[in-house]
Amino acid sequence: MPVRTSTSTSGTSTPSRSESHGRGAPSTRGAPAGEGSLRAGPTVVRRVLVRRLATLLPLAWLVVTLTFVVVHAAPGSYADTIDNPRLTPQGRALLMQRYGLDQPLLTQYLRWLGAVVTGDLGTSFLFQEPVSEVIGRALPPTALLAGTALFLDLVLGLVLALAAVRRPYGIVDRLTTVLALGLYGLPTFWLAGIAILVFAVWLGWLPPSHMHGIDADRLGAAARLADLVRHLLLPALTLGVVGAAATARYLRATLLDVQSSRWLLAARARGLSERRLLWVHTLRPALLPVITLLGLSLPLLVSGSVVVETVFSWPGTGRLLWWAAQARDVPLILGITLVGAVAVIVGNLAADLLYAAADPRARGDA
Amino acid sequence: MGSARRLVFACLAATLVVGCQRAAPPSATTRGAPAPGGTVVVGLLGDLQSWNPYLAEDEDSYQILRLVYPSLAIEQTDYRTHPPAFAPDLATSWEWSEDHLALTFHLNPKATWSDGVPVTSEDVVFTWRTQTAPDLGWPYASSKDSIDDVEAVDPATVRFHYSRVYPYQLMDANDGVIVPAHRWSQIPYGRWRDTDWRQLALAAGPFRIASHEPQQQITLERNPTYWRAGRPYLDRLVFRIVPSRSSLLTQLLTGDVDLLENVPPEDAERVRDAPDLHLIVFPDRGYSQIRWNLRRPPLDDVRVRRALSEAIDRRLIVDVVYDGFARPSLGPVLSDMWAFDTHLEPVPHDPADARRLLAEAGWRDSDGDGVLDRDGQPLSLELLTNAESELRQDTCLLVQEDLAGVGIQAEPRFVEWGTLLARERKGDFDGIISRWIEPTMVDLWEVWHSAAPGEPTLNSTGYANPEVDQLLGQIDEATTFSAQKPLLDRVQQLIVADQPYTFLVETMALVGLNDRVHGADINDAGPYFNVDQWYVNTEPQ
Repeated sequence: MPVRTSTSTSGTSTPSRSESHGRGAPSTRGAPAGEGSLRAGPTVVRRVLVRRLATLLPLAWLVVTLTFVVVHAAPGSYADTIDNPRLTPQGRALLMQRYGLDQPLLTQYLRWLGAVVTGDLGTSFLFQEPVSEVIGRALPPTALLAGTALFLDLVLGLVLALAAVRRPYGIVDRLTTVLALGLYGLPTFWLAGIAILVFAVWLGWLPPSHMHGIDADRLGAAARLADLVRHLLLPALTLGVVGAAATARYLRATLLDVQSSRWLLAARARGLSERRLLWVHTLRPALLPVITLLGLSLPLLVSGSVVVETVFSWPGTGRLLWWAAQARDVPLILGITLVGAVAVIVGNLAADLLYAAADPRARGDA
Repeated sequence: MGSARRLVFACLAATLVVGCQRAAPPSATTRGAPAPGGTVVVGLLGDLQSWNPYLAEDEDSYQILRLVYPSLAIEQTDYRTHPPAFAPDLATSWEWSEDHLALTFHLNPKATWSDGVPVTSEDVVFTWRTQTAPDLGWPYASSKDSIDDVEAVDPATVRFHYSRVYPYQLMDANDGVIVPAHRWSQIPYGRWRDTDWRQLALAAGPFRIASHEPQQQITLERNPTYWRAGRPYLDRLVFRIVPSRSSLLTQLLTGDVDLLENVPPEDAERVRDAPDLHLIVFPDRGYSQIRWNLRRPPLDDVRVRRALSEAIDRRLIVDVVYDGFARPSLGPVLSDMWAFDTHLEPVPHDPADARRLLAEAGWRDSDGDGVLDRDGQPLSLELLTNAESELRQDTCLLVQEDLAGVGIQAEPRFVEWGTLLARERKGDFDGIISRWIEPTMVDLWEVWHSAAPGEPTLNSTGYANPEVDQLLGQIDEATTFSAQKPLLDRVQQLIVADQPYTFLVETMALVGLNDRVHGADINDAGPYFNVDQWYVNTEPQ
């Protein structure tokens, strides 16, 4: 009979994730988000997989359609954002015509949707290039930044959580709680600004922005990599540290749950060493929900952080979205939203599947 | 109607803006002899839109592309004292036909594209075809409305044929840079927006493309085939794209960026006090105003509008909002332009007279609540401006206070730029605080001529004065600047008397420049006006 984990949280609530992280708090503890039916045999898993994949298309359609409506509900258009003293009202009318913005909304929508079905996301107004190319170019920098930040997030979060639960409500726990909540409460743009001020302006250790220095194209491969790492550190730390604060709070709660479990009591009664108790009997079950966390973080690897990428001039999709929104570049906004929506759906699904694979109870073979 | 009604509104809020200016003296220090080599780094808010100048619509892109593609002539910065003069560029000289309907340019025989092919009259003809191609829809095509044909007389001679004589013929011929026919003419215009222009761009200006990392950096390098021997001095001109104004300022202060346009007035002292920087200040051809909705009572009453203008202290706005980097605006033509009417009577700051005018219009504080009323209705207005501009919001609050002083209740409302434009176009406003940036061409038609319903116009106030309309028509038909001047004077007098706008302040551009950059003449013709003469003594940090 599978042993259910207690869902009591030792009085600590899981902080919700910030907007810039693009991932929400897991909906359950010790169980995969959503699909409870994944706790069954492989056939069921397959059936669920098919069902979830079938919802992908309508969901993605719904998201982009809502985005289309919202973007057009706001007054103004791309032609209004052109900053050029030479642009006359007649020129503006020509621009509206050039981009098809003079057409009825339904026509614009159907035209866009029809093209998307054939794999064509349209041409960006702002970059005068196919949207797929613009997004394709922004994805690797975003994946690099978000991936590094996610790694820092998990490692730092785990270290903080372990330090905290060694003596629950002891001095270290209280200090890490204050630190984690403090960091988590800071607005990311503020933290980013302070990081730039301290490490780039005052200390001069790290560059304040961009992915490369101005002479990067003249550097050899090794020097170029070192240049990239130097530029990556500040934004990745800013993003990672805020995430780590939330992860630490979350892991602390699950670790405490496990510590009060009957199986740990039984293991301790069998005379196992503290080290074995920690690494095998506490950490393993406590880390299972991290899979869910990871799944929810996957979209971040695709959609990026608007705030951090903008402040640090990082050429990723987050910054692209900010830019597109500013310029009312409708095809680009819709393209990024579509890619982001697919990433969220796939991320959730991947988390559930991974969870099912990792947790013997969820596989139904425990 | 004039061929190019380019009085435009610049206002893309505080976020964008490109400073323009006047004939300022060379502003940077000149130390030692110019030495070739070195790099200058410019901070930019936005990326280059396209390497094809006829697909790039914004001013920043245009300024960069002008360094790569040649122009027939270069407009000089003397347009404040007299109509603008032009210096030779790709064209070494030009002459007019007797009837002034044909203009012949002689091209520099040394000019070549960066692939070694000479720049010829065919390129000029192709450029004109591109500018006027309906299936391309170049938004600035109206400057070519009066040009009937462009003819390649021989490879080094090109002739523009006009349908009429008017003062801005040369300016209109020169509008837009020349692009390479031999490389681009095979691509149908319908496919231009799906073409990778980075691969097809060719240079004939002082710089050529070295690299472009989108959202990061544009690197231009010296064009070795540029026809001016020994120019430019700089090896590279690097544009770092930083999408936040505060980050740009930080990078200027840390030396990561050498040049930054549009330093906000409140940061001027920081730049001025920085040991390695200097601040360049010049009028930027912009003026701010309150646009009153003349369709709505009581704003349809000229006495009320005059009272509103007299109640507002422009000097206070200059000192408080702009930290002194502005001056009071007097009328629809900038006060230091050749076309400005020097006999214009400025509206004084006179709250007592404002109260008198309002009383004359029937507005009195009959219930003693401090707000004027008439027929039981309080004198209350909404003042609209865009939330992106702190300068305009601060102005709005000062205006609110001034108006309260004469018993007018003004409610400031800050909305997003798109909302502001939408409400202005619909005529759904009382007063809008906004700003125009004037072109070097003096053309008052777009803003001040009465517009037929549905006609694209910048006349959002509903201003319609038959005498002004008639005069604007005469100005449009005048063949010389001297014939235009008395007509322009009269129009200014009429508009100032009508006060459809409360003219607030003429603004200034503030540019931060690192002391290591020498020889730079930064002025309102554009930040890179004499970039081929810039030089540096040290590499950037």
